[in-house]
Amino acid sequence: MDSLFLNPLIRLSLPPRFRANPVKYSCLYVSFLHPSVFSNNIARRTRRTRRRRNPTISVRLGDTGEPKQQLNLSVLRFTLGIPGFDESYLPRWIGYAFGSLLFLNHFVGSRSYTTAAQFRSEALGVSLAAFSVALPYFGKFLKGATPVDQAALPEGNKQIFIMSESLSDIQKEDLAWATYILLRNTNTMSVLISVGDALCVRGYWGAPEDVSKASELDWFERQIQQIGFSDLRDTLYFPQTSDSAFSEMLPRGTQSLLVQPVLGAPKLGLDDTQEITGGFILLASSMSYAYSDRDRAWIGAISNKFRIMRVNS
Amino acid sequence: MKRLMEAGSLLRPISWMPRPLPIRRLFFPNFPRSVKASSKFPGAGYRGPKPKRDWVAEWVSRNDDVVRSLPIYVGGFSLFVVLFNRAASGIAPVADASSSQSRADLLTLGLAVTNVLTGLVWLSIRPKSISLVNPQGVECQKICSDLPDYVVSELLWMWESLSVVTCCRSLVIVYEGSCLLQIGVAAESNGGNTMEVDAPKLIQGLLYQGVVKSGAQSYLANLSLYPGKSELPFLPSNTQAVILQPLGDKGIAIIGGDTIRGFTTADQAWITLIAEKLDATLSRFATNLTVTMQD
Repeated sequence: MDSLFLNPLIRLSLPPRFRANPVKYSCLYVSFLHPSVFSNNIARRTRRTRRRRNPTISVRLGDTGEPKQQLNLSVLRFTLGIPGFDESYLPRWIGYAFGSLLFLNHFVGSRSYTTAAQFRSEALGVSLAAFSVALPYFGKFLKGATPVDQAALPEGNKQIFIMSESLSDIQKEDLAWATYILLRNTNTMSVLISVGDALCVRGYWGAPEDVSKASELDWFERQIQQIGFSDLRDTLYFPQTSDSAFSEMLPRGTQSLLVQPVLGAPKLGLDDTQEITGGFILLASSMSYAYSDRDRAWIGAISNKFRIMRVNS
Repeated sequence: MKRLMEAGSLLRPISWMPRPLPIRRLFFPNFPRSVKASSKFPGAGYRGPKPKRDWVAEWVSRNDDVVRSLPIYVGGFSLFVVLFNRAASGIAPVADASSSQSRADLLTLGLAVTNVLTGLVWLSIRPKSISLVNPQGVECQKICSDLPDYVVSELLWMWESLSVVTCCRSLVIVYEGSCLLQIGVAAESNGGNTMEVDAPKLIQGLLYQGVVKSGAQSYLANLSLYPGKSELPFLPSNTQAVILQPLGDKGIAIIGGDTIRGFTTADQAWITLIAEKLDATLSRFATNLTVTMQD
């Protein structure tokens, strides 16, 4: 725990994202030009895997009593094998490419006037292209979809770790630990915890250059007063960039924002060393849709830790 | 050996919270007794924007199955339409790129196939839903009686967080040779009483030794497959998954869940970090205890 104080610059390493083993079937993509061959390939491969024991789907009928058997389609995960290339966005690029080729074909390709049949075909093609472009956006909200692109740290921010002076050691330790755990376990690049009189800011923030180190805390306090975060009662989650009222306070390049109020009375009785406080936790991330339901549940659990603060050390 | 007391006699009774409630609703007030005097009208002071409801995201998450197979239907339908269009217009169905009609058809076919493949990929990556198994046993809330309030509140906070956010249904914390906390559903011993945790026996067992020596969390995703299950008789017999988390080198936290592979990697990471904090708190309490005993 000492390392939390001695080393304010922590590595913002994101937890490893689980990715299923991709199977290289790049030939599947080329074979669409020959529809008959393609369908045979698909049929052959799926027949083979249905006979093979596939470890990824291991539940058998009768073990847990699941009524419907799930189709074993895991053979169809494919990748082009290029590192850093996200295949889930492939339909979007193909939609753009083929759509533009369709337009090219319409205006440049035909020597005579376009027949009605061609017009119908092209209309269908363009609407399909638009649908393909929209597909990755819908795919993001499906269950089990993980954001594959790692959060990139935007320019223009500097890493800071400041805390109110007038806190006991135990409070400082609690705040340092909470900010550390939030930065480490979620896709967060900046965190601010304000509980009662205590304020702790950690991560990458873009405070203006003319604010001196000593008065950075006051600058944050003023921003908070202006927006009125302390009186919040509901959790606010902005999954995409909002223009806004608080873009001056937030670091540059923030895409999603989560503000979690610290609420409610604890279950235990209080004694003299404890007091009830109000406050909030603010998390900013450089990715959009950065916080899943489970992330938000855990952040709510962390905020409950600050419902009571120990005043005597 | 420290005597375990029922929590109700030392503190206010802890209400048993049903698990599926989202964490926001659980801690809805009880308004605090002393409110910070920043504003007399709670809620009126916030002047920022409120987030809009994301209709697309909600619709997609509610109709997950339909959305997954939607591209397949769209792609298949377009395939038929293209071929039908060709046939109905009297053009021979040849797949060459000579006329612009053929080129347009080929591009549309390519898009249709993309959609079908995307639909198949989405179907193949659907996460398997595993049903939960209610643990058989009796509810218990036992906390060691000599602990100071700050340790008790930290332990109870850990239990609240785990039981609400994850699939945890039982929690046992053993530290420095004695059981500090046994909460949740526990195995039933004769006569409807809860089976107590035999801490010395647990500490001598292989499970504890292995976990504390390696210092790393051990996740038994499907407890029925592990022979070490016999060392945990205090957990309900049909506990599905167990996480064994060492607390430094002096203790262990045993977290039992009701779903096979119910703890995600994110949950594991959170549990590891929370356990480190708990270890720091408990070791501070332990050193305070030895200091006062030496005085």
